[in-house]
Amino acid sequence: MLEVKSLDAFYGSVQVLHGVSLHVNRGEIVGIVGANAAGKSTLMFTLAGLRTTHTGDIGVDGEPIGHLPAYERTSRGLILVPERRRLFPFMNVLENLEIGAYSPGARAQAKQTIDEVFALLPVLAERRKQVSGSLSGGEQQMLAIGRALMGKPRLLLLDEPTEGLAPIYVKLLFDLIVRLRESGLTVMIVEQNVHHVLRTSDRTYVLENGRVVLEGEGQSLLNDERLKIAYLGL
Amino acid sequence: MASFDRASSARSPLIPLFPQWGRVSIFELALILTCIALVVVRLPTSFQDVLLLTYMFAGLALAWNIAGGYAGLISFGHAAFFGVGAYTSTILYLNLGLTPWIGLWVGGLLAAVFGAVLALVCARLRGPFFILSTLAFAEVVRLGALNWVSLTGGPEGLSIPPVSGYANMVFTSKAIYAWIMLSYAVAIYAVTKALEASRFGYYLCAIRDDEDAAAAAGVNPLIGRTAAMALSAGLTGIGGSLFAQYFLYLDPTFLISPELSFQFALLPAVGGLGTAIGPVLGSLLITPLSELLRSHLGNAAAGLHLVIYSAGLIVVMLYFPGGLAAAIAKLDWRRRRS
Repeated sequence: MLEVKSLDAFYGSVQVLHGVSLHVNRGEIVGIVGANAAGKSTLMFTLAGLRTTHTGDIGVDGEPIGHLPAYERTSRGLILVPERRRLFPFMNVLENLEIGAYSPGARAQAKQTIDEVFALLPVLAERRKQVSGSLSGGEQQMLAIGRALMGKPRLLLLDEPTEGLAPIYVKLLFDLIVRLRESGLTVMIVEQNVHHVLRTSDRTYVLENGRVVLEGEGQSLLNDERLKIAYLGL
Repeated sequence: MASFDRASSARSPLIPLFPQWGRVSIFELALILTCIALVVVRLPTSFQDVLLLTYMFAGLALAWNIAGGYAGLISFGHAAFFGVGAYTSTILYLNLGLTPWIGLWVGGLLAAVFGAVLALVCARLRGPFFILSTLAFAEVVRLGALNWVSLTGGPEGLSIPPVSGYANMVFTSKAIYAWIMLSYAVAIYAVTKALEASRFGYYLCAIRDDEDAAAAAGVNPLIGRTAAMALSAGLTGIGGSLFAQYFLYLDPTFLISPELSFQFALLPAVGGLGTAIGPVLGSLLITPLSELLRSHLGNAAAGLHLVIYSAGLIVVMLYFPGGLAAAIAKLDWRRRRS
């Protein structure tokens, strides 16, 4: 579904990603792990079309999308849930969700999608008129995912979704990711919470200094001594 | 900015007492009725002057606020749009005999095109870089007006013959001008309220508050910013035409001056950026203060009126950092909590 080849990404003149190549198959959960400053979030930003400049190829279902701005990538089903949620704090839950249904296709189905999001995330239905800035961290993360779902994604990019969350919400979140996959969604997740990612993902890439240094199935990577010692500090 | 308004909008009655996001309140209705009453009671001529200037600047500040307050496009070049509107309707009237009633719409349209072009050209600029580019843009327009003598009259400007008549939009009664300026301000107020209640208004706020997050959610920031700037510029251009018909003389050094651009931005800043009521409150406070200080102290000691005016602004900024609208919203919040 997603094919990335020889991706170099830059912030100004500073190169952060060096020749990253990876792929995500339809219906998979793919994890990206690595230490701080490994380039994980830069990879997500670059895939979503935000801020960075890049060379190399990014394709979705065979169509090159590397030249497209972020909002056009969302209309092709590639939607990012950014790190630290990035909600619109003065808008209520419903208004935040409606922002996610911007493209004409998503807008036409907005009412139905809101019902689906509320069924999937009942806490949002209970707090639909509450200003998002007053939600708890876990509820805000659910709202950020709900906002992304409003855009009718085919590939959901989750950037550090468990950051700052209580353990109960971490578990809820990974349960949700599994349910999203079961509903047909493809998920790519960047996380520092390595154990959860390796257990949940079908395949995982390990980034170090902007390069892919390991790739494999989650369970096999869990037992990989190099990963434990060099990258994960286990 | 508008946090109190939006946070409370879900729980308030049918017509709220104080201003709220996307809804008309009793406070606003009372304010409009007071403005109407001030025109009806026929104040002395000098006060009528102040009154209609206050209404005109309220409209202009509201127009600026669409770009600066809602879309986060802080512009110090709006005098250029004001000038484009003023020159367009005047030139069409003087050269082609087109009535200013139609000319003002053409002026507004042309100013909107200028605004859209500016937003597109400066699409990648943010913060101070965008502000400086708007300032430079206005300078280019001002120099154009000064040097294109055959069209604009150059430094001498253009005069509109003081022949009164409905078709010429020239009136001997200041009250009629006051009605026109009040209608202009109320119309832009209605546009602003409609914007707040619309999906487009939410998109603008999303772009302003976090452009990356808005783009990641699928919002097209370029379309939002361009449309907001075009709307704001177009409405400012209409204000320029009205100004021309009132003063009957276009002086490019005043009409497209940085001072005027700063004035457009100052009024919403004092009243409350990103709120509908803010620019109106800003104009109701600042315009009469400025005019009265100038008329009463302007000859007493050189610059004294500016010292008092600036001191007043500093006091307002210190005690109401979110503007007068935020102070009212806070009052409303406390009232409902108690």
